[in-house]
Amino acid sequence: MIMSLRRWRIYLTPDRILSICFIGLLAYLVVIPLFMMIHETFIVHPLERFQIPGSKVNDFTLAHWYRFFVSDSAYAFFYRPLLNTLIISFGLSFLALLIGGGLAWLVVRTDLPLKATISNWAVVPYILPSWTLALAWISLFKNDRIGGERGIFFALTGFETPDWFAYGLLPITITLALHYFPFAFLLIGGALRNIDAQLEESASLVGASRLAIIRRITIPLILPSIMAAFLLSFARGLGTFGTPAFLGGPVREFVLSTSLYGNLIGQRPGLGYLAALVMILIGMLVLYMDHKMVGARRSFVTVSGKGSRLSLIQLGRWRWVTTSLVVLFLFSVIAVPLVALAIDTVMLIPGIYAWDNLTLHYWIGEASYSIGLGTGEAGILQNSQILMALKNTFTLAFVVALVTGLMGVLVGYAIVKRRGTFIAKTLDQMSFLPYLIPSIALGATLLAMFAVPRGPIPSLHGSFLLLVIVCSVSALPYAVKAGISAMRQIGDEIEEAALMVGASWWLRMRKIIVPIQKSTYFAGMLLPFISVTRELSLVILLVTPTNQLATTISLLFTDRGWYPYTNGIVFLLTIVVVGCTVLSRRVMGTSLAKGLGG
Amino acid sequence: MPDIVLDNVSKSFTKQTHAVENLSLTIPDGSFTTLLGPSGCGKTTTLRMIAGLDLPTAGEITIGGTVVFSEKSGAFVHPSKRNLGLVFQSYALWPHLTVKENIIFGLEINSVDKLEVRDRLEKVATALRLDSLLDRYTNELSGGQQQRVAIARVLIMEPSVLLLDEPLSNLDATLRMEMRAELKRLHRETGATIIYVTHDQLEALTMSTHIALLSAGELQQFAAPLEIYEKPTNQFAADFLGSPRINFVTASLTSDSLVWGGLKIALPGPVNVNAPQEVLLGLRAEELRLDRVAQKDALVGRILTVLPTGADWFYQVEVAGQVLTIRHNDLVPFSYDDSVYVQPRPSSLKVFDDLGRAIL
Repeated sequence: MIMSLRRWRIYLTPDRILSICFIGLLAYLVVIPLFMMIHETFIVHPLERFQIPGSKVNDFTLAHWYRFFVSDSAYAFFYRPLLNTLIISFGLSFLALLIGGGLAWLVVRTDLPLKATISNWAVVPYILPSWTLALAWISLFKNDRIGGERGIFFALTGFETPDWFAYGLLPITITLALHYFPFAFLLIGGALRNIDAQLEESASLVGASRLAIIRRITIPLILPSIMAAFLLSFARGLGTFGTPAFLGGPVREFVLSTSLYGNLIGQRPGLGYLAALVMILIGMLVLYMDHKMVGARRSFVTVSGKGSRLSLIQLGRWRWVTTSLVVLFLFSVIAVPLVALAIDTVMLIPGIYAWDNLTLHYWIGEASYSIGLGTGEAGILQNSQILMALKNTFTLAFVVALVTGLMGVLVGYAIVKRRGTFIAKTLDQMSFLPYLIPSIALGATLLAMFAVPRGPIPSLHGSFLLLVIVCSVSALPYAVKAGISAMRQIGDEIEEAALMVGASWWLRMRKIIVPIQKSTYFAGMLLPFISVTRELSLVILLVTPTNQLATTISLLFTDRGWYPYTNGIVFLLTIVVVGCTVLSRRVMGTSLAKGLGG
Repeated sequence: MPDIVLDNVSKSFTKQTHAVENLSLTIPDGSFTTLLGPSGCGKTTTLRMIAGLDLPTAGEITIGGTVVFSEKSGAFVHPSKRNLGLVFQSYALWPHLTVKENIIFGLEINSVDKLEVRDRLEKVATALRLDSLLDRYTNELSGGQQQRVAIARVLIMEPSVLLLDEPLSNLDATLRMEMRAELKRLHRETGATIIYVTHDQLEALTMSTHIALLSAGELQQFAAPLEIYEKPTNQFAADFLGSPRINFVTASLTSDSLVWGGLKIALPGPVNVNAPQEVLLGLRAEELRLDRVAQKDALVGRILTVLPTGADWFYQVEVAGQVLTIRHNDLVPFSYDDSVYVQPRPSSLKVFDDLGRAIL
């Protein structure tokens, strides 16, 4: 007995303890909520008692499944939103691929001027809140359908935009593509950069034309990255909430995420959870395809030569024309929307673009029911509700960055130390699981889990802790990825050298491992900080009036048509997020682009 | 003082494969013992088990009379309490610390007195010629300097056993020669037991007092370098040591002689064989003599390739249907296609049966 206890102590190393703890934690926070949510689709909720005759709360029922997939209203509840979702996701992925791939090719393979600047700015659309562009679209192209004045475009040209252009699937697809194209830009750019010049040179030596080389050599080589970029944009587009809510709402076009939200906060939680379930299945299917089609073949991208530089394609007299077009494009997806948002915050009566209509009322004004929109809300910088929401947002972002940073270090450590073992593979896959779940659906699983007290755990609904949990879980795959790559770079021997002279585990982490990789870990914390700051889809189901975030409060104001407030808040968030990125780059030399690769 | 005893030590990473199998070995105190073998033979695993970084799946390890690991009793002594120092293959220098901070890290975390730290630092820095580099970061050093920092970092802890894991494999050829001499000097001056892992047989031959030759996780032979060279206990040992590689020819063994291609080689004493037995005879490049003119007891051969190395001339010679590598340092070298007479002049008879075991 004593002998076996002694043996246990030898094997009870920190990496083993950590592995077990985190597997337990992730099971509790990711796997069990998933099953809880499935369970919710089979029971009667309090509000559904009256819709399902003769039922009692918590009774087992197949009514939700019937209503969602089979009944007469199934088209409105499920099939139409599904169709819309697929159209938008496919459309945005294609568009993002075209834009991102084209830009990447120009930057990597041609003698385009201003490359560094273009590369830096091409990532910015992803850093902005995903629905910035949707709001800007409304500012620019609003027609009189949703009441109030028409947008800037009308003011400048006098043309009234048609509904199909101002709202619905088309603008949703375009604005999301403009948000997600940096994925394609980074992934394809990376792949293009890694191609060994000798591969193309040997083709040209046997007489292949430039076009033949692109078609037969280059594209097949970067195909895995193209697929990865496509599927990643697809999966991300699937779970996004803000854009389809803002642009689809006015014309009553729903996608799965907005239908989920509508049902869940309305009177049909069963249907909401089913929508979440469908989204999770599609998300998993897409990323499983990515794994199947790309994973096996991704290897040959890394077979890259060293040193031999690709010869750049001369653009000749198209050089400056192309650059101008690229700069103009980036200008119109970054600067124009921000300026449009900014302008709308200083117009007392929305839609009237005249000098005497200029005001700072929406920034610093007193609460009033008669000035401008007459909202009865004080200006953004004086509004206690908004300031509280901003404070919540940054507290949350900070806490989540710390939590995920810490988890990234520890989980990465455990996985790399125990690599090759069953336990490490399990932990690796479990920490990757949140990545497969569209963000609004992840919120739904945690709502299912924590909305009611379970055992000793009280209901966490409306608590700050629940927001920390959902954001941390969602950021975990990125943090763990950063943690793993940091640990891989360090290697075992660096730590063992300290162990040999008697440094305890705590000392080794504190004095050796974390200091060596501090910039990687810092980048791993920056990403959650930024994504939490601009997160809407993930938290929309979990906030309550007492713990509003900047993003959710801006949604609230949008619902009331108070665009100047919404735009102002988004404008502030954008400045903070871009500021953080630039600052961290200056101070720590970390590039956000590194962490985005997905 | 510490003899290191491995008693029936085994290590398996998966259920099917053994990295090390039933290894029993006594490494004498003060020796320079090399664990030698091809990659994947278990030499680094053995070293790491002695260090305590890997745990054996069976067996017992004793250092200086203290059982530091025993599968049976569950005894385990922490690596840092075994009084040994390990120099890693990658050196594992801490890149965020200066040379000085790297070297004194171990003393500092063990709260050694500041004055003593300074004394010891001065001593090892002088011994390893690092005085002028103490404030540099390790990525500003050359490979040879990094190597010396790695050794200094271990020596400052004054271990009684020094473990070195392929320390020279990352260095270029000239530097490697230099470091070999330096390590031998270090061994002499510190008097510490050194256990050295390498796959380079030349390194093992030039540096060690003892070689433990491993293959596929099993000990092949444990002896002094020249003894393994002269009296390999099996075909693997004969083949692995020596450059160029030993020549193997088929011979037949009778009770008083070996017959190779019609040539008789006398045995030192009679052996007990009933009928002539087919065996392999190992002949090193320097154990064959070349002649231009006909000799008694010689086989006729033909020069296939001439391989001058500067100091030595090596020839590939076709003899009795086989290609043999032969060293010959005559003033007038042979040329391609010359006819030659080949005489075996073995300094020791290396004869192996069909299972590769040495006989005689």
